[in-house]
Amino acid sequence: MFIHNLKYFFKIIFRNRMLIFWTFAFPIILGTFFNMAFSNIEKNERLDIIDIAIVDNQLFKDDEVMKNTFKELSNKKNKDQLFNTKYVDLNKAKELLSKNKVVGYLLLEDNNTQVVVLDNGIDETIFKYVVDEIIQTKEMLPDVIEYELLNSTKKDREVNINEMYSNINKMIQEDKSKIKDISKSNLSYTMIEFYTLIAMTCLYGGIIGMSAINMCLANMSNKGKRIEVSPICKTKIILSSLFASFIIQLIGLALLFIYTIFVLKVDYGSNILAIILLSLVGTLAGLSLGITTAVLVKKDENTKIGIMISTTMIGCVLSGMMGITMKYIIDKNIPIVNKLNPVNMITDGFYSLYYYSESNRFLFNVISLVIFSLFLILISSIRLRRNKYDNI
Amino acid sequence: MIIFKTFLKVLNKCKFPLILYTTILVFVCGFNMQTSENSLSFVESRPDILIINQDEEKGITKNLVEYIKENSKIKKIKDNEQARDDALFYRDVNYIIYIPKGYREDFLNGMNPEIKIKSTNDYQASYADMILKRYLKVANTYQSMEKNENRLIEKVNKTLSKKTKVELTTKKDTDSIEKMSFYYKFLNYSILAGSIYVICLILSSFHEEKIKKRITISSISYKKHNQVLLLSNLLLSLVVWMIYVVLSIVLCGKIVFTSYGLICIMNSLIFTLCSLTIAFLISTLVNNKNAINGIINVVALGSSFLCGAFVPLEFLPKSVLKFAHILPSYWYINTNEMIKDMEVMNINTIQGILLNMGILIIFSIIFIILANMVTKKKLKSN
Repeated sequence: MFIHNLKYFFKIIFRNRMLIFWTFAFPIILGTFFNMAFSNIEKNERLDIIDIAIVDNQLFKDDEVMKNTFKELSNKKNKDQLFNTKYVDLNKAKELLSKNKVVGYLLLEDNNTQVVVLDNGIDETIFKYVVDEIIQTKEMLPDVIEYELLNSTKKDREVNINEMYSNINKMIQEDKSKIKDISKSNLSYTMIEFYTLIAMTCLYGGIIGMSAINMCLANMSNKGKRIEVSPICKTKIILSSLFASFIIQLIGLALLFIYTIFVLKVDYGSNILAIILLSLVGTLAGLSLGITTAVLVKKDENTKIGIMISTTMIGCVLSGMMGITMKYIIDKNIPIVNKLNPVNMITDGFYSLYYYSESNRFLFNVISLVIFSLFLILISSIRLRRNKYDNI
Repeated sequence: MIIFKTFLKVLNKCKFPLILYTTILVFVCGFNMQTSENSLSFVESRPDILIINQDEEKGITKNLVEYIKENSKIKKIKDNEQARDDALFYRDVNYIIYIPKGYREDFLNGMNPEIKIKSTNDYQASYADMILKRYLKVANTYQSMEKNENRLIEKVNKTLSKKTKVELTTKKDTDSIEKMSFYYKFLNYSILAGSIYVICLILSSFHEEKIKKRITISSISYKKHNQVLLLSNLLLSLVVWMIYVVLSIVLCGKIVFTSYGLICIMNSLIFTLCSLTIAFLISTLVNNKNAINGIINVVALGSSFLCGAFVPLEFLPKSVLKFAHILPSYWYINTNEMIKDMEVMNINTIQGILLNMGILIIFSIIFIILANMVTKKKLKSN
C-alpha cells in the first residue's frame, strides 16, 4: 500500500503544472533575475577611476607638487590610479562639468585653490580630499625643511643640498603607517538574496505537502472521502504521501542548488555536509508548515495556498529578500522575530556557513528548525487523529 | 451599464493584489526615502566608521579618534565581535579601526605600532582608508621631528586643518528629484504586478467559456460589449494612476509640481496605458487564472529587475541592459533616470525623453495589433 500510494502521488504531483511552476520553475526564474540584477552591484561599489578636469593655467604649470601628484595619480600604469585627468582651459572645464563628463575640476588662482563640482557625492569628496592632502603636504614642507636644516647644521657638516632634498622628499612622500586588514574574505552581501531564495523554495515546497494532506481529508476532496471510508491504515497513506512530497521538494531544491552553484556561481561555503543537513531540516520545516496549514485551516485549497504563499513571503521580506538591510535591522532591533521566522532560520544558517564558517550559530539555526518542525507536526498529528464529520 | 456593473463586481472580488502592491510601494518607498536636508553648499560624504579603542583616551590616541570622528559618521555597535562582523557584512559600517593597547606610548617612542582594520572594500571604505592613512602619515612625519606630545598634536592638527574651497554649481534640488525618480521607478513594479494583474483577472472572468457563450447570445452587440469593457478598463487604470500620482505628492512633496514632476507624471500615464495593452494581450493569450498569476509574476519581476526598477540602471551588466531594450519598462525607467541627470530643461535635453515616450506608444500599438491578431485567430479556430 505504501509503495502503491507513493507511486501515484508522484504521478499526481508531476501532472499538476501550477504546483511544479511555483515550486520548481519560479525559484529558478527568480534566481536568474537576481543574478542579472545584482551581479554588477558589488563591482560598482568598488572605488573606480574618477573623471576629473584640471584648469591648465600658468599657476598650475608652476606648481610642481600639484602637477606631479596628479600626474602620478592619473598614470594608467599605476595600479593605484585614482583619476582620469583632462587638462583643459576654464571654459572647456565648465562645459565638461555641465555635461556631466567629469565630477569636478580644479582651479588654481592666486592664494586660492578651488575645486568646482556639480553635486554632492563620494567621488566629489574623494577629489576634494586628494586636493586637501596636497595642500596639507605643502603645509608640512617648511617644518620639514627647517628640521632638516637644523639637523644638518647640528652635525657640523657642510649642508649637502642633494642629500637634504632626498631626505625631505622621503619624509614627505614616505608612508610609514602600518595598517593590517583583518576582515573576512567572504563579504559579498548579495549572497543573502540567494539564501532567501533557497529558504523560500524550502517553504514553498510545503504546498506539495499541503496538497498531500488535502487529498486525504474528506472535507477537501472526493479522493479524501474515498480514502476516509476505505478500510486501510490511514497512517500509511498519509506517511507515504508526505514521504513522496518530501522527496519531490528535495528534487526541486537540488535542481535549484545545481543551478545556483554551477550557473549563477553562488557561494554556499565549503562545508557540504552542513549544507545538506540545513537543506534537509529546511525542507522538513516547509513540509510541516504545509501540513499544519492543511489541517488547521478549514477553507478551500486556494485560500490555503494563499496563506502559505503570504506567510512565506512575509518571512522572506523579514529575512532580507527585498533588501538585505531589512534582515539586519530586524536581527539587531527585534531579534525574537527573526529567531521565530523559519525563512530566517534557513537564511541565517547559510549566512553563518558562508561568513563565519563556525558551528555555534549554524547549530542554533538547525536546532531551531528541528524544534519548529516537530512542534508543528505534533499539533497537526493531534488534530488529524479521529476526524469525524457530521456532514460534508 | 450592465457590463460596467459586472466589471465593478468582479473588481471588488479581486481587488486584493491592487491593495497589496500599493502597500508594498508605499512601504518600500517610505523605507528608502529618508529625508536628508538639501543644502546649497558642498557636503562631504562621510563613511560609517566604528572605532574600537583598546588604548587609553589620551594624547595622540585621543587626537586620532577625534580626527576620524570629524571626517566620518561614528557608529555604535554592540560590544562583541560577531555584532561587529554582522555590521560590516550588512554595510552598517564600512570600516572598523582597532587601536591596540599601548598605542600612544608605542607611537611616541617611534615604534610605529600597527593598526588593525576591517573593511568592506567599497567606495566608502576606500575613503575611510584614505582618512586613516592621511592622519598616520602626517603624524608619523611630525613624530620623527617633534618629541613633545602636545606640540606634536598641535602641528598635526594645524596641517590637517588646511582645506580646499569647494564650489557647488548645481541649482536644482537633487535630493528631492532623486526621491521622486525612485518612487516612479518602483511604480513600474506596482503597476505591472498590481493593476495589470487585476485587469487580466477581470478580463479572464469575462472570457470564461460559459460566460462568453451567454454573452454571445445576449442582446448586447459584440462590439458594444467590447467597447464598454475597454472603457471600463481604461477608467480603472486612470483611477489607479491618479491614486499613484496623489501618493507621489504625499511621499515626495512639492517637487511633483515642478516641470520634473510633470514629466514623471506624463511618463507614468503613458506607461499605465501601455501596461493596459499588455494586460489585453496577456488576457487574450491565456484564460486560466492560475496561469495568469504565474505569467504576471514573471513579467512584472522580470521587467522590474532587468530594466532597473529595483537596482539603478548603471549597476546593471551591459548585456542585461541590451536585452532590456526590448521591454517597455526600460524606456519608462530610462526617462526617470534622465530626469535625475538633467541640469537644465530645454528642447535639446527633453528630446531623449520624448523619444522614450514615443517608443512606449509604439509598444502599445504593437501590443494592440498583436492582441487583435490573436483574437481573430481564436475566433476563426472556434
